[in-house]
Amino acid sequence: MKIGSTAIINCKIGSVQVNEVRIGSILVWSFSSFDPDAQAFITAAGITDPIQQNAINQLVLDLKGYSIWTKMKALYPFVGGTATTHKFNLKNPLDANAAFRLSFLGGWTHSSTGALPNGTNGYANTFFSPSANSLEYNDNHLSYYSRTNATSIYDIGGGENTGLKNLGLYLRRIGNVAGYDSGNYITNRNTFPNSDSKGFYNGNVISSSSKYFKNGTNQFTKALTFSDITALSVYVGAFNEDNIPSYYSSKEVSFISIGDGLSDTEASNFYTAVQLFNTSLSRQV
Amino acid sequence: MIVAQLTQEQVEQLQGVEFAPDSFFNPILDANGNYIISIEEQEQCDIQWVKDLPRIEYLPKETTNLL
Repeated sequence: MKIGSTAIINCKIGSVQVNEVRIGSILVWSFSSFDPDAQAFITAAGITDPIQQNAINQLVLDLKGYSIWTKMKALYPFVGGTATTHKFNLKNPLDANAAFRLSFLGGWTHSSTGALPNGTNGYANTFFSPSANSLEYNDNHLSYYSRTNATSIYDIGGGENTGLKNLGLYLRRIGNVAGYDSGNYITNRNTFPNSDSKGFYNGNVISSSSKYFKNGTNQFTKALTFSDITALSVYVGAFNEDNIPSYYSSKEVSFISIGDGLSDTEASNFYTAVQLFNTSLSRQV
Repeated sequence: MIVAQLTQEQVEQLQGVEFAPDSFFNPILDANGNYIISIEEQEQCDIQWVKDLPRIEYLPKETTNLL
């Protein structure tokens, strides 16, 4: 509610907190103790469970406290247990492609622990184009919180065979290797041996130094060479290969982010915040 | 894995259609050239002819992993 052009953030009469304002029986304003960005998401997604509301609020507060909120361009917390609640981007919780709201296609199972693609035809379109949103091969991150130990060729990403322009993560391929592509997947792929794909994976580049973090710990550092990055939308649960969903994955996801590159300290703090978030929802691995 | 088989005409009817709130059909081809959708799509939708589709064993297309 606004008085003139001024939004009412809080309202007291003397020292008494006003919790809501009604005109007749119609609620026109209510007081929220939540962070405004958290409240916007909670409202858009229709999250009514207090545990889930508090988890979202704490996540936003932590990301802001660690000064990494502004480095995020898309955040998917997968709270609420349905496609309708899982689709919203915490950074911009509008129901629109331009807000990078997820569109789920094919077979998914949605639950309180996250979203599980079936590995056959299930994927989600983020509508997020890395190059159109100012991500560079030498400054970006892509994260995926997996609750499943399984192999797949990719778990999230997109790329173009012409020009070899990728942005993607795989957590465990056959042969037990994890990989992170930032630009040219031949010259700029960062890999490490991995036999368990559960956990929080964060492929991260800053100043041309690619680091692939698992549970907040860098597994390998690779120096990158100049490359373009893809313009194609990032897919979740598959890889957007030249605008065709390919390489379907079967890993349950409980958190995803796309954004700017993070420092080592920021990557460590990011894991702390995301792990606390998932722990508060009793779905941590 | 078991999936539901469709004809090409049925695929065209499902393009861009929601089978559940905020969830859209995604018919794909299997290794034998059959159009299929997943059991999740078949079970969660309210379209009777989709629920009546025959079920077959899923044979994934071989992927040439260029990436």
